[in-house]
Amino acid sequence: MTVSIALVRENAESLRPPRSLWVSFPLGRPLGVPGDAAFQHRVINAALELLDRDKGPVLADYPEDAPRIVTESAPACPVSFRPDGASWQARLLSEFAALRSWYQIGLSRRGRTLVGVSDTAPEDIIKRLAEDLDSQRLPTDLVWFKKAIEDVKTYYLEALTAQPGHYDQATLYATLWRDTQMGAGLRWFHDQFASHPKLSGFARIVLPREALQIAKEDSPPET
Amino acid sequence: MVRLSDLPEYEREHLLAKALPPMTPAQWVPPSKPLQQMRVALITTAGLHFRDEAGFDFLDASFRPIPSEASGDALVMSHSSVNFDRSGFAEDVNLVFPIDRFRELANQGRIGSLADVHYSFMGAGHTPEAYEEGAGQVAGLLKQDQVDAVFLTPV
Repeated sequence: MTVSIALVRENAESLRPPRSLWVSFPLGRPLGVPGDAAFQHRVINAALELLDRDKGPVLADYPEDAPRIVTESAPACPVSFRPDGASWQARLLSEFAALRSWYQIGLSRRGRTLVGVSDTAPEDIIKRLAEDLDSQRLPTDLVWFKKAIEDVKTYYLEALTAQPGHYDQATLYATLWRDTQMGAGLRWFHDQFASHPKLSGFARIVLPREALQIAKEDSPPET
Repeated sequence: MVRLSDLPEYEREHLLAKALPPMTPAQWVPPSKPLQQMRVALITTAGLHFRDEAGFDFLDASFRPIPSEASGDALVMSHSSVNFDRSGFAEDVNLVFPIDRFRELANQGRIGSLADVHYSFMGAGHTPEAYEEGAGQVAGLLKQDQVDAVFLTPV
């Protein structure tokens, strides 16, 4: 028997898996709230109850939304992102240096990090990415590049959320994509891949749609 | 994201484009025992694996075993999609792979037992048919492990 969590109700309606519990949580958060065992248990219990149904397919709606994070202003960000230097290397390394202590604080608090899938130290990743950006060239090792950009994005997210608390995800990612040199660098890579005759598909796994939308909103209107 | 209707149009359209017709033949297994006697396994499509294991490729229908006694904190993620929040998983592995929650349920007697091995696939880029071979292999492994029910989490 299977019971599944469904994040997109319309797709579960269409696919008709045997037992499915639709939840209203964001993509990436099937159990709703990190660090809230009671909340997670309520979701799990609602899903496990579907194992008792004797006829299907079953698609039930979990009634509880994850708590909304209300922010009247941008949350306290541990770093003020101001580009410092003429080259990508200078700006990215300056930004990395500003984040380093926060990353360590986050690592101490959580006791773990998700950084490391690329087997390259974050500072070395940044140096390699900066070399490509300053040379205006695309990387040749796409397998390493994908792992490296995920590591560096994770590094930034873990630093930005170093302090305990619930973060408004929209504001967190807007900071990453709008305010950081790393976000700008990844946008450059994305745009180059997107316009490459053979690598345009790869662009889809470089930058999320959300970041592209932010870039579009921030672009000056065409005249 | 709360509901599709709350999303910007570009995101809503992208997600709705992934709607697929029902898989056939329709599968249904009626309950044969109470939950308190069931052996339960967790399966996720979040692309989880241990740090010293090979990560998932861009398009990858393989799976990774996760022994039940392993610490969830030892898991990392190499999912190729960039369009979901990863900050929650960084805070708490149970948000995506609720291994500690299910250990608690087993200790409380709410479920019969946990499987010896759980599994992660990486759910990006492929149609469901691409996963048929791996899913079949996992189904065989679950049978050997005498699993009664599987709790599936997307990401």
